Amino acid sequence: MIQPNKSLTFTFNGESFGAIPGQTIAAALLQAERTTLRTTRFNDEPRSIFCGIGICWDCVVTVNGVSNQRSCLIEVSDGMVVKS
Amino acid sequence: MIAIIGAGPAGLAAAVTAAKKGEKVILIDSSTRLGGQYWRHLPSNWKQKRLPYFAEAQELFDQVLSSPLITWYSNAHVWQAEKKNEIFYLYVVKNGVEEVITAQKVILATGAYDRSLPFPGWTGPGVMTPGAAQAMLKTHGVLVGKKIVIAGTGPFLLPVATGLASAGAEIVALLEANKQWRWVFNVHGLLLNPSKIREGVYYLKKLRSLGISIQYGSTVTSFEAGIATIGKKEIACDVVAVGWGFVPELSLAGILGAKLSVQKDGTVVVDVDRNQETSIQGLFAAGESTGIGGSVLAIAEGEIAAGKGNRVTRWRAQVFAKGLQRVYPVSSGWLSSLNSEVTLCRCEEVKVSDIQSAIDELGAQDGRSAKLLTRAGMGLCQGRVCGRNVSEVVACHLSREVPDRERIASASRPLAGPISLGELGDGLGKKF
Ligand SMILES: Cc1cc2nc3c(=O)[nH]c(=O)nc-3n(C[C@H](O)[C@H](O)[C@H](O)COP(=O)(O)OP(=O)(O)OC[C@H]3O[C@@H](n4cnc5c(N)ncnc54)[C@H](O)[C@@H]3O)c2cc1C
Ligand code: FES
Repeated sequence: MIQPNKSLTFTFNGESFGAIPGQTIAAALLQAERTTLRTTRFNDEPRSIFCGIGICWDCVVTVNGVSNQRSCLIEVSDGMVVKS
Repeated sequence: MIAIIGAGPAGLAAAVTAAKKGEKVILIDSSTRLGGQYWRHLPSNWKQKRLPYFAEAQELFDQVLSSPLITWYSNAHVWQAEKKNEIFYLYVVKNGVEEVITAQKVILATGAYDRSLPFPGWTGPGVMTPGAAQAMLKTHGVLVGKKIVIAGTGPFLLPVATGLASAGAEIVALLEANKQWRWVFNVHGLLLNPSKIREGVYYLKKLRSLGISIQYGSTVTSFEAGIATIGKKEIACDVVAVGWGFVPELSLAGILGAKLSVQKDGTVVVDVDRNQETSIQGLFAAGESTGIGGSVLAIAEGEIAAGKGNRVTRWRAQVFAKGLQRVYPVSSGWLSSLNSEVTLCRCEEVKVSDIQSAIDELGAQDGRSAKLLTRAGMGLCQGRVCGRNVSEVVACHLSREVPDRERIASASRPLAGPISLGELGDGLGKKF
């Protein structure tokens, strides 16, 4: 398996990351060993991906200002701004 | 026109079969790639060796993409549906815009997702479903961890273990909660499906060559700070992937009013007749939504739903699937060992103790009232992950069985996916 170049860049909480075209936000962040995607509303617990297929909504982040977006489903586009 | 929702094995087989009969098809899936869960694949920009099982998928993909009768509508989520005057109206969100698709016949091929049970530490990063680990690897080429424990029950744990290990992860433990002798309950299923014996032997050999042995009769009881507890042992790992079989995705079947029923093991499925038609005329269902059975059954059902398929193949695969339920039951043991400080509903952060107080102090007498009082199952996932578990915890606390009507109610939900007010306000963009 030969991986294509990470030709896309996006930011997550201000830090810059690369992504391969077709990769979701969660996949690109996991590949960079960034496991915590957000903390919870009530108990401030860290959360990452759980179902990986858009069912559990644990991986939600804010994408280009739109909140509650499932990072395991949304593919990275160049210049995307992602926040916890 | 026939609208098919879901482009996994069932939906693809249905689309190709319908097109061969000269019918116009729209194949809708919320994913950007064909294949559903089983035939997940990396984009074509990756240089990769395809596994042999992918040949069948490629053939179906090619047929779908080349047929002038099939429109592949990707990245489109059906969030609502209704039937009026013999016509189905499917409300679809694509790129943030809502559209309506109309069809005389609808085939639901919406698949399933992993079933999860709560345990201490299961909400933290590092704990996920085997499906998630599989999806990250097969769709994005990403290994979810370096040292992985795989646990739960069912044959699906085997391809997940071999896949992750072949990609370079160390599988520090592969735990099958059920004992191997239980396969005596599916001897007839194996005899009717010799390919399944070959598949089983293939995975066992592959595991051996990768140096992985299966530990039967045990599971992970907690995960904290990189340590998984397995019985009295503690193992260091960075990922724990636990799955207890699958839950059929029934939102649209429920919304359209199709009759749902409860299988012996508590799984809720959509009822279909011998032609895969549901209780609603013109509404068909195929694949995991009619009962968990794997890709061979999903394909056979998809073909039959589209009007031409092999009923003997379907029957054989159904016998095998029924047998699997007896080999890999989920025992109610998880309920008795449940710590009251464990989170039950991940979205609303509701603990087992909150449910217990709703019963003991606020008088909740069933799952529905316990959910209303605690908000368990009322978060963004609409109870997909915890709905069944909450009902079972409530029933256990009240020393009762979960009534079928409650199981059916918690499998049906008003929307097939939350939709933002912005998307609703945009109105209807396009009409097919
Ligand atoms: C995460 C995961 C990974 C799996 N990996 C494997 C594997 O590697 N090997 C294996 O043998 N089995 C695997 N399985 C088991 C798998 O469910 C079956 O083998 C097989 O894929 C079932 O086929 P299907 O056509 O019924 O449904 P699926 O393949 O699940 O396809 C259903 C499709 O419907 C779409 N869909 C659902 N609801 C909507 C909606 N409202 N609007 C639009 N689209 C919708 C989904 O996006 C999905 O693509 C996996 C299951 C899961 C949950
Ligand atoms: S990980 Fe479950 S929705 Fe994204």
